Amino acid sequence: MLEEAGEVLESVLKASCLPLSFLLFVPAVLLLLGPPPAAEAAHEFTVYRMQQYELGGQPYGTRNAVLNTEARTVEADVLSRRCVMMRLVDFSYEQYQKALRQSAGAVVIILPKAMSALPQDVVRQFMEIEPEMLAMETIVPVYFAVEDEELLSIYEQTRVASTSQGSASAAEVLLHTATANGFQMVTSGAQSKAVSDWLITSLEGRLTGLGGEDLPTIVIVAHYDSFGVAPWLSHGADSNGSGISGLLELARLFSRLYTYKRTHAGYNLLFFASGGGKFNYQGTKRWLEDNLDHTDSSLLQDNVAFVLCLDTLGRGNSLHLHVSKPPKEGTLQHAFLRELEMVVASQFPEVKFSMVHKKINLAEDMLAWEHERFAIRRLPAFTISHLESHRDGLRNSIMDLRSRVDSKTLTRNTRIIAEALTRVIYNLTEKGAPADLQIFTEQMQIQQEQLESVMDWLTSQPRAAQLVDKDSTFLNTLEYYMSRYLKDVKQHHVKADKRDPEFVFYDQLKQVMNAYRVKPAIFDLLLALCIVAYLGVAYVAVQVRKKELILLFIPFFKLSECMSQVRSSGIQVKLRV
Amino acid sequence: MLFLATFFPTWEGGAGAYDFVGEFMKATVDLADLVGLHLVMSRNAGKGEYKIMVAAMGWATAELVMSRCIPLWVGARGIEFDWKYIQMSIDSNISLGHYIAMAALVWMFTRYDLPKRYRLPLTLLLGLSVYKAFFMESFVHVFLLGSWTALLVKAVITGFLALSSLGLFVTLVHGN
Repeated sequence: MLEEAGEVLESVLKASCLPLSFLLFVPAVLLLLGPPPAAEAAHEFTVYRMQQYELGGQPYGTRNAVLNTEARTVEADVLSRRCVMMRLVDFSYEQYQKALRQSAGAVVIILPKAMSALPQDVVRQFMEIEPEMLAMETIVPVYFAVEDEELLSIYEQTRVASTSQGSASAAEVLLHTATANGFQMVTSGAQSKAVSDWLITSLEGRLTGLGGEDLPTIVIVAHYDSFGVAPWLSHGADSNGSGISGLLELARLFSRLYTYKRTHAGYNLLFFASGGGKFNYQGTKRWLEDNLDHTDSSLLQDNVAFVLCLDTLGRGNSLHLHVSKPPKEGTLQHAFLRELEMVVASQFPEVKFSMVHKKINLAEDMLAWEHERFAIRRLPAFTISHLESHRDGLRNSIMDLRSRVDSKTLTRNTRIIAEALTRVIYNLTEKGAPADLQIFTEQMQIQQEQLESVMDWLTSQPRAAQLVDKDSTFLNTLEYYMSRYLKDVKQHHVKADKRDPEFVFYDQLKQVMNAYRVKPAIFDLLLALCIVAYLGVAYVAVQVRKKELILLFIPFFKLSECMSQVRSSGIQVKLRV
Repeated sequence: MLFLATFFPTWEGGAGAYDFVGEFMKATVDLADLVGLHLVMSRNAGKGEYKIMVAAMGWATAELVMSRCIPLWVGARGIEFDWKYIQMSIDSNISLGHYIAMAALVWMFTRYDLPKRYRLPLTLLLGLSVYKAFFMESFVHVFLLGSWTALLVKAVITGFLALSSLGLFVTLVHGN
């Protein structure tokens, strides 16, 4: 019985071609099962994601960070689950909304390389759209990419493909599938998640006045962070790079004055560079809480003359002093206001100065100006800015680039503030100094080059609050700079409360996107058909037309035979002759 | 390849210039291919046609596995599409035809009953098959052909080679 079974098995194995055919299938199986390797992309580029944060429990910005979809432009008919690419120069809010309504997979906005060369109306229009984009609830990721040649060519090819989608005939569509290039956009990296234990850092420094205790304090504040629709692209030149450079210049000048006993005034000067300013002034808020509630003695508790907040001083021909309560006669605030008016009127007549009174509206999500934080804690405060309204798009835009700050204007504004401050501190008007007395000249001049270099340094990196870590080089440099002129330079940290966080930041703000060239599915079918046709033709040619092929070549070799015969007969003829 | 690397100095000319002499010498080394094919065919016992077919298919498969499998495996399986993989496949197809022609020519060359008048065309064709790669490269460099045009030229040359060797073979086997 066993022998028979053995014989049967042997014959079965011998007869079938199973082993060989199995060998043929092995590569096919491996192909299907194995993971596809990470191929080289047609183009790899950095993309910056739109903001994602929560403020006071309210989420803002985009929610998603992962992408793996085909690219299309706005002209295409079907946009759902596709990555819509738009150029900034052709950007319009309606198209953006249309793309989001059709549940697009993602939006990539391509920014020109030289953003400062954009026409003003495009800039203005985008500045106005930015806050609306952030306020809209966006589940899909929105990316910004800086244009380069390859990206532009990808955009052009996608646009051509998208516009011709609906119109062509069947034959054209078939031809199109063979020749056109689709693009698959893939981002690497994980889904975005909330960053825990993020510290917002602020820096303070002081110049102590001459003459014992209980001196009045003047606080000069500016927030150093910037804001825009994409954190990595927000350089915040005017808002608030100009404020910080003004603060540093004032620190330098007053530290110089305070070095000599003759000019050492009887006022304490407290300088504060606050962080998280664009997120409802978190740095200032916590600093005030710590100094007023949790410490026994602090300069802020005793005798505060006023708080001056510097915000957007970089352009324009106007200056506004924003107050939440008009200063009463006889107070130092009123004196400062008067000095400002006088300095502007007599020394800088081209500048339009006015006081803007705006009551604090606690019902709104965000406070308007930084001085409102101080005013809530009953400290007299004002903000000086060239902007008339806190809602101006310039304060929160990625278009706020270095080129928007005019160094001369910044120098002039810093000078105005310095002169007015000095007149108040040294009580010059009462002592009979004329209105057009220029204090900051020659050696005490406001140095424009200094301001320019500080501005260049500030705008060389994005200073969004989510990106400035407490160990970042930016903060180290700022601390070092401040400690050159001020004493007791300290860092102050703000961490969000665990249970009821005031602010939550998310990561994955800068990612690498790959654009892969892909062909549509029909192309594979077309290719398979072509290969089958080719094999069929080859088979037919070999099988059926064998005889004809042979017949074709016989004359060729008959000819060569004739030629060789002619040669040999020619030799014979010669010999005979 | 080892032979090439050891005995031929690297070409240090300009990027655009083409070292005709160097590449010519390198192609001469391909004569070793002919010797290899002859050895394979002499081992195989069988009718002439089967010998040629077996040797040529084996040789072509070996070349495919060695030189084309890995690029295809690594590159063609990713998301990215590139026409060069299709070109590579068509090229391997053409190589198959080329190797069959080469094997047939080698077999014919070593026959003892080869008529005198076939010696010259046979030698010419054999020379063409060995130096085909060299001619192709020179063509591409001189005329600056695109990849698809180069493939077409390669197909035409191989087609001519194959058909001529087929004709020779047929007249040799069936004519005499």
